[in-house]
Amino acid sequence: MKQRSLLLWISSLVALLVAYTVVAGALRRPDILPTTPEILQTFGSLLVRGNPPPAGEMHHEHHQHQMRSSDQVDTLVQQGVTLQDALLVSTARVLFGLLVGLPLGILIGVLLGWSRRADDYLHSVYVLIRSVPPLAFITYIMLWLGHSEAHRLIPIVYAVAVTAVIPTYHAVRDVAGRYLVAARSLGARGRLLVTKVLLPAASPAVLGGLRYAVAIAWMTAVGAEMLMAENGMGNLLVGGGMWSSRMQTRSDPAVIIAGVITLAAAGWAMDALARMLTAHLTRWVR
Amino acid sequence: MMAALQVRRAAIGLLAVVLLYGIAAQIAHGRLPDRIWMGAHYVDNIQLLPTWRSLAEEGAFLIESDILVSSVAVSTRRVLAGLLLGSVVGILLGLATGRARRLETVADPWVTFFRFTPALALLPLYVVWFGFGELSKVLLIASSVAVVTLLGAHHGVRAVPPVYLDAAASLGASPRLAFRKIVLPFALPHIFAGIRVGVGLAWVTIVVAELIDAKMPSLGYLLALSGAYPRVPTMLIALATVGALVLAFDLILLAVQSQATRWMRRTA
Repeated sequence: MKQRSLLLWISSLVALLVAYTVVAGALRRPDILPTTPEILQTFGSLLVRGNPPPAGEMHHEHHQHQMRSSDQVDTLVQQGVTLQDALLVSTARVLFGLLVGLPLGILIGVLLGWSRRADDYLHSVYVLIRSVPPLAFITYIMLWLGHSEAHRLIPIVYAVAVTAVIPTYHAVRDVAGRYLVAARSLGARGRLLVTKVLLPAASPAVLGGLRYAVAIAWMTAVGAEMLMAENGMGNLLVGGGMWSSRMQTRSDPAVIIAGVITLAAAGWAMDALARMLTAHLTRWVR
Repeated sequence: MMAALQVRRAAIGLLAVVLLYGIAAQIAHGRLPDRIWMGAHYVDNIQLLPTWRSLAEEGAFLIESDILVSSVAVSTRRVLAGLLLGSVVGILLGLATGRARRLETVADPWVTFFRFTPALALLPLYVVWFGFGELSKVLLIASSVAVVTLLGAHHGVRAVPPVYLDAAASLGASPRLAFRKIVLPFALPHIFAGIRVGVGLAWVTIVVAELIDAKMPSLGYLLALSGAYPRVPTMLIALATVGALVLAFDLILLAVQSQATRWMRRTA
């Protein structure tokens, strides 16, 4: 049974890939549906650093690997943009967002979940702030802090923090509350109460929110890079200046598909890491 | 029901924010630089923290000139269309994959792929496929909403305790009846949770999607324009409007959900 479902899983993947290859091959419109070999060639072009070789070697080089070229690929290669560099930059931004945003969000969540009074006063304020989409205030940050890394990082931090608040809040208020009462009646207080009771009790739910925070961080990072950035995956996809250029030109679909596949793989890998981390940190729950 | 004390405290909290902002803006008035380097040139007369007074004047102007109202109408219509399309497709697929194991296995590689694809990255592709017009914006919102509603519905169906289904089957309930009377009600809170996440995603998406073939009226372009000039009061009012719309959508969904799940015992 298990083996059969794995077989089904793989054949579903293969079937759609084959279907795509056949349709795209029959359509012959690389400006709409690039064929599978074209997408693979685009991957190849984007992975090799584009130092335009001297004229003599050009011919030789061309023979060695067949590379696909389009205006967008050419531009990217000329600028020395590679897929791995762009992915590295975006990953760094996502990680920064998680490293700063998660503690911030967890802190707010613990505060609101812990203190009834803080919750009463501040919950409505939190809901108001949460409602503003992170990509909407990029230009406002730019006015304050200039054209810098800040207006790409702050939206990611904000998006992560705002999503991390909710699971923490519910964990501290609903789950940990019961343990807190018990621990308090046994005389635990202060730091002991926080480190030995509150944080362990809340951690499964908090870590459950981690996976969602990872997804939101990627979405925001790519969006911010599409709007205003000189590097990263969003820049690779649309040139990074959507906010000022309003995107009037069509992109090369092969580049977009290659970028989307890369992003999906990166998102999946980070999610797998988050799941492993969660399983490791909450071993004791079972 | 919220106690009177809680309502009063929430009001005090919000009022404190309003007052603190007013005080900060008054102090900043004339102190913050009003001349800002914009990468290529200086821009004058910037109010980084506009006072409530100038915000109110700008708001009145934006409403009177019909800019804000028509922008809200256009963007809301797009979000609603995408939300409706995306959640219908997502919920149906989620219910189906939740019920049929084999279908789940077949769909899984593709669901996984779309789940980890940031929907915004699909925007340039949709422009190539569906043009610069309305369709690519609505479909982009629908895609981002469909993924989360699919997951919500799927987990909702899976959360049904098998005991219920076994009991219903042993009492002679047809699969269809069991689906209507057990699975669907049980999945409902999960489905609503998925839609609520979807609403947030939809508004994030529209702000960027409306920069494609950007035209007024639309909230996304209003934000971009006010950033290009830049005109901070307009920017802040557009921001607050988007925030208010997200909040309003969420409150409406919560109200619908509590109506639809009235029969359930509420824990929180």
